[in-house]
Amino acid sequence: MDGQCCGPGFKSPQEAIKAPREKLLYTIAIYTGTGIQKPDYLATVDVDPDSPTYSQVINRLEMPGIGDELHHMGWNACSSCHDDGSMSRKYLILPGVRSNNLHIVDTATDPRAPRLHKVIDGAEIKAKADLSGPHTVHCLGSEIIISFLGNAKGEAPGGYLHLDKEFNIVGRWETSMGDIKFGYDFWYQPRHNVMVSSEWAAPNTFMPGFDLEEVGHLKYGRELHFWDFEKREPVESFYLGEDGLLPLEVKFHHDPDSTHGFCGAALSTNVIHWWQDDAKKWRWEKIIDVENEVHPEWPIPLPGVMSAILISMDDKYLYLNNWLHGDMRQYDITDPHNPKLTGQVFMGGLLGKAPIVNGVEVAGGPQMFQLSLDGRRLYVTTSLFSTWDNQFYPEIREKGGVMVMIDCDPENGGMKINEDFIVDFGKEPNGPSRCHESRYPGGDCTSDIWL
Amino acid sequence: MIMYTVTIANRDGAQYCVDARRPLLETLREQGVDLPFGCKYGGCITCAAKLKTGAIDQRRQVALNNRQIANGYVILCVARPTSDITLEIGVESHEKLYRNPFLDPLKPHELKADIATPKEG
Repeated sequence: MDGQCCGPGFKSPQEAIKAPREKLLYTIAIYTGTGIQKPDYLATVDVDPDSPTYSQVINRLEMPGIGDELHHMGWNACSSCHDDGSMSRKYLILPGVRSNNLHIVDTATDPRAPRLHKVIDGAEIKAKADLSGPHTVHCLGSEIIISFLGNAKGEAPGGYLHLDKEFNIVGRWETSMGDIKFGYDFWYQPRHNVMVSSEWAAPNTFMPGFDLEEVGHLKYGRELHFWDFEKREPVESFYLGEDGLLPLEVKFHHDPDSTHGFCGAALSTNVIHWWQDDAKKWRWEKIIDVENEVHPEWPIPLPGVMSAILISMDDKYLYLNNWLHGDMRQYDITDPHNPKLTGQVFMGGLLGKAPIVNGVEVAGGPQMFQLSLDGRRLYVTTSLFSTWDNQFYPEIREKGGVMVMIDCDPENGGMKINEDFIVDFGKEPNGPSRCHESRYPGGDCTSDIWL
Repeated sequence: MIMYTVTIANRDGAQYCVDARRPLLETLREQGVDLPFGCKYGGCITCAAKLKTGAIDQRRQVALNNRQIANGYVILCVARPTSDITLEIGVESHEKLYRNPFLDPLKPHELKADIATPKEG
């Protein structure tokens, strides 16, 4: 817990699991690309079942302008500076993928009603660091690094922006991008001096929408990169081939001693597992392969499109989504070489298996998700990216996004949609918006890294 | 200064006089037209509009594939008029902008300019 004696976060993953239950949740909601001329915003959702406003949006912090396309976010500090009493988990950083702006939001002064602290102008980032298309935010001690997918012209591979704790631009974080062709997500494991990064595509490729043919023209990624974290340069790359088309989310085990990590290859709809063997050599394998499904009206089989993965804080379960199929899955990864499917639920999707959840018509499919520290509540949202939503789920314009809660059983495995919780972003005051990534004020399963 | 008239078909035919040297997104927003936008450098498609009549120069755009261009889409944040033009703006004009890529593949000549091959025949 954040406290007077020490810094933010938790001493260990085991301590994090014992933290009090989350009462608030922040999720970004977008109007960019929806036809509604309003700014994107940070929504505060009440997730305290004892509160009269449970399962409702209780605050909306609008960004200063339109057209940001908020997407992912990250904290100014996490458990990586738990022993630094001068730091606290106070600021949430909200990058705008299209505008290039970085919004620094103070969530501590009033956690229910976060306020805008500072905006780093997208043009300044282009001028000082030649970067655009921000995505993943991680902190390392009191410093912050953010992956950007393009240079100032939106061309790959981009690089990493380094901010100090006052949110001043230090410059580029990396020493070299080596032969890396594309950027996207990254995660690091300091005890092994390693960072792993994945590949989506250049902003100019993915921002306008998904042209499937561009995968064959090598405009989308299919490699994972292993970095010397201290030297800040890539040292080894794995070509995943057809098994690893669009390798997106990268997660290491939370256990800082572990070398096991995972990546979801979105288009191949596979989970890639890597680890360091006894000879200290990095190895990889495909451990989950979601089969394409037959769609009644499609001439070709439908891939799942695994756009996100998440590891529970006890490193026992891996969660994944199939955005087009419409299911969320839970795998027991106690043996990371042999995952076992232990839970599956449908919500939306193109197969028509669960068009309505708790009385709300679901446009889109399960897309981003966040798990409570105790591993019992998984909050799932349905929008991927405005232009891609518009291609696959055009009805999301009228219906907006949805947040669903899935009850998970961390002892025996299993998932079930919670019948008392649903947040319908189709009923927002300014019209249907689309919710995406979520974070909890006290930490969650995608925010913390231990040194 | 060369000026052209922009008519917005789906805003009751409202007309605006704009500087031919500047991007349409800027000159129309300055005159109070409420337009969507994102990246402001021609890379992200959010500001796409449909050109109904007239001609524009949008050489700086990198977001549209050749099918979208053939369907009349223009990227307002970098496009400049080279004649009087009529536009349809906003998402009402986006009917043909988005397609399901699994159901409606692009032919080789319909890809983005940097990877398209010339149409055969």
